[in-house]
Amino acid sequence: MTPDLPKSLSDLPVTAPKWVGKPVNRIEDPMLVTGRVEFIDNLTMPGMLHCAILHSPYPHAKINGIDVTAAESLPGVVAIVTGEDAERWSRVGYTSPEGWGTHCMATDKVRFAGEPVAAVAAVSRYVAEDALELIDVDYEPLPVIVDAHAALEPDSPRIFEEHDSNVMYQRDFKWGDVDGAFAAADHTYTERFRWHRVGANPIETFGVISQWNPISETLTCHGSFQTPAFMALGRAAMHRLPTNKVRAIGQPHGGSFGGKGGGRGIDITALLSRKAGGQPVKWIEDRLEYLSAGGGQAWDRFYEASLAVNDDGTVTGLRVKLLDDLGATGEGFGATGAAKPMASFTGCYAIPNAEYDLTIVATNKLPASPYRGMGPPPHNFVLEQMMDIAARDLGVDPAEFRCRNFIPSDQFPYTIASGNEYDSGDYDAAMKKLLEMADYDALRAEQEQARSEGRLRGIGIVSTIEPGVFDWNAYAVIGQKGVGVPEGVSVSIGNTGKIIVRVGFPLEGQGQYTVAAQLLADYFAVDIGDVEVVAQDSLSAPTNFGPGGSRLAVALTGAVLGAAGKIRDKFVRVAAKLFEVQPEDIELMDGKLRVRGVAGGAQLTVGQAAGILIHRTDLLPDGMEPGAEATFVWSSPDRVPPDDDGRVKSYLTAAYACHLVVVDVDPETGKTEILKYVIVDDCGTRLNPANVEGMIDGAVAQGVGAALLEEYVYDEDGQLLTGTFMDYLLPTIHEVPATEKAALVTPSPFTPLGAKGAGESAIHTTPAAIMCAINDALLPLATRATEVPATPNRLWTLLQAAKQP
Amino acid sequence: MTAKRDVSLTVNGVAYSASVEPRMTLVDLLRGELGLTGTHVGCEHGVCGACTILLNGQAVRSCIMLAVQADGAELMTVEGLSEDGQLHPIQQAFVGQRGLQCGFCTPGFLMSVYELLQHNPAPGDDEIKEALGGELCRCTGYQSILRSVRDAAARLRGEVPAAATEGEA
Ligand code: FES
Ligand code: FES
Repeated sequence: MTPDLPKSLSDLPVTAPKWVGKPVNRIEDPMLVTGRVEFIDNLTMPGMLHCAILHSPYPHAKINGIDVTAAESLPGVVAIVTGEDAERWSRVGYTSPEGWGTHCMATDKVRFAGEPVAAVAAVSRYVAEDALELIDVDYEPLPVIVDAHAALEPDSPRIFEEHDSNVMYQRDFKWGDVDGAFAAADHTYTERFRWHRVGANPIETFGVISQWNPISETLTCHGSFQTPAFMALGRAAMHRLPTNKVRAIGQPHGGSFGGKGGGRGIDITALLSRKAGGQPVKWIEDRLEYLSAGGGQAWDRFYEASLAVNDDGTVTGLRVKLLDDLGATGEGFGATGAAKPMASFTGCYAIPNAEYDLTIVATNKLPASPYRGMGPPPHNFVLEQMMDIAARDLGVDPAEFRCRNFIPSDQFPYTIASGNEYDSGDYDAAMKKLLEMADYDALRAEQEQARSEGRLRGIGIVSTIEPGVFDWNAYAVIGQKGVGVPEGVSVSIGNTGKIIVRVGFPLEGQGQYTVAAQLLADYFAVDIGDVEVVAQDSLSAPTNFGPGGSRLAVALTGAVLGAAGKIRDKFVRVAAKLFEVQPEDIELMDGKLRVRGVAGGAQLTVGQAAGILIHRTDLLPDGMEPGAEATFVWSSPDRVPPDDDGRVKSYLTAAYACHLVVVDVDPETGKTEILKYVIVDDCGTRLNPANVEGMIDGAVAQGVGAALLEEYVYDEDGQLLTGTFMDYLLPTIHEVPATEKAALVTPSPFTPLGAKGAGESAIHTTPAAIMCAINDALLPLATRATEVPATPNRLWTLLQAAKQP
Repeated sequence: MTAKRDVSLTVNGVAYSASVEPRMTLVDLLRGELGLTGTHVGCEHGVCGACTILLNGQAVRSCIMLAVQADGAELMTVEGLSEDGQLHPIQQAFVGQRGLQCGFCTPGFLMSVYELLQHNPAPGDDEIKEALGGELCRCTGYQSILRSVRDAAARLRGEVPAAATEGEA
């Protein structure tokens, strides 16, 4: 039974919330700033061995044999595993699309440079790495395919022999009368775009300690898992174990952004521990491994997009053709990033007809992973460039052009062409506020001045959606079945009114424990310090998923308030019996249970009520279960599988943002400098505004990286050229601009307290905004940047070409 | 494997000695042998700054130094910042200004900021950026770190700390 969850802050049982909605300091931080948090690499265990993994230097090769005898005899080496052990004790990994998986170590052949081939467990990492050098692998190189278009050719070398091509997925989705819209349009525009691989790169890489117990036949894994329960489920399937025989313990970790990776690392250490007779085995991925063989690469895309537009500036049709290079396998949920754009396909705009012609292809590169945003950021970049292309041609200001196409604020909930429903918003108001804050007219005047001085000044203005609170149904079309993503917590209150909330996800950086504590502190009117958040492992925690798809703050709010509501209901019945009134006459308010409407009457504190439930069971109403505790599992209401056209109501909330960016492109060097950055965003009720601001700042930085700096470069032989932080450039304090921000608040009608998913944040918007600004800067040269990242070299090349007569 | 060498050093005022392989990095000595796990490792190739510690008062990257190179040195790590359970003003500023999210990069930042504020009690933003340009943070976007450093400097100068994050309860 679903209890009635508070729909807004004023529904909380407190006269004025003291914690929720306020930028309270995070309860997580004192431990973090003193270096006392147990990140995975801080953990050590009796008898623990250290693992090093041998990665293939070849992107595509047959393995004719592996000789480990020399390595085995190195003092300090305890166990070595290869593909043979993987075949004996584990399965081929789960993939979506289905049927494009391998074992955790190569068996017959390798499909990307960096694929694990063997692994050693030894007394130290130093010795384990020494042993790797003694392993002799007989590789027979195969033709390499790194170009996604070439991979489509019928005579292309095949990554998986059992498939008759490298096409992992092909489907042309059409919604509405898209052909009709294009035929009838006054204007149509088409352009091609290229988005190069980028990825998460949390500062802490992945790490795990696995221990196989040969007596109980159970597997225990401590690790930097984003979603421990989900990881455990995967490992149970992989190692053919019952799901209650795998315990995953999520250590607090140093960021994830969807790209923590780790599946193979867990499996390999599990095999090593098994081979070593049950000694725990630790593996800490190093940065070179993360970059070349980890969870850090996403979104390798070729786009062709078209827009159908009428003379009055109304966009009537959008076509997007995407060739997505997923790399060597379908492991690790990388392909979900190609499906998710359907959750916000037409952005903030009322475009009734749309087409998504999606092809996913395999190549000899690292399998792609999820990354914050999960796929829409490149799509938004494409859509927003198209909006500017059309606006320019029609001579309409880009901001005005967007306003003409915004979904009107009185039409929510609004179902977009691809089937998702947006909950609420006022895009027009956000845009107006943005232009006012930025003093838009003055910026345009300055731009004119700058141009007359020969400078390349550009202004980018974009508006995007952040789909929030993911549901598996969003990914059903690419083979990820299921509806609902349950998130459960259990809350218990002791006889002194101190509260414990047990959750299933570890600390990761978003401040979610603080949010849980804020909610309970207000619900039961205690100090935030009286709430303790306890993380539980996958065998102890209530059903849960954890962070992902901009969901956790909303889902956690639902779970916490649901559990709190169940406890309140018990308190009310206890108080009713004690005061000899009906339960309907009792209310919980400001931490007291009292008879409604009777001022100064008898009352019970939360601690007293809990105390009765624990220590005075004689006072309980007949049949009441003792204990002041409850578990509640929340999931998005009202979700179903997609229809035959792939249309689906998937993500529960639609936060949105308008960004304005001013840049100068240096005509001599092609370097882009960000001069001004203004943001108006709306993610509904802000549970902790400082958390939200932090998410925005961090996501802007990642967006700057994606737009200007970061790129995984492979050469034509399939070798990664950007295997260090000297080559893969994360933004530093010098590159990230300060932003001016304002917030609108349009509460979601569908979520507890009206909050919307907000964790992915500006990564949806920033790359699009910067690219629009760059293209505005390049306008006088009649050239266009269509490749991301717009590195100095790329822009310089465009500038040179534009200068040619 | 080469013969082990003896190393003696002082960390946060405590004298330690250990027998290490010459190839052992300083950060592995601190974390693995001495149990000082507050210093983190993010890249092991000298770029991210997560492993920053002070060696004879100077910020260095402990992932690209060998343990034997620190023989006889005085080190300070994040564990040496707080005293008797009291956060150091720099730590207080990072908490109050939200200078961290996941907190993995934070020990490195704290040590770099400590070094900066030792010899420049009132740094301008450009000087702060210069001092922190070699520290990577993937979570915060650095804006809150800048605020934290300004606030930390003010606290250390004995000024009233800036209001914490706006609207603080
Ligand atoms: S770990 Fe030392 S600089 Fe990155
Ligand atoms: S706080 Fe996560 S890397 Fe800086």
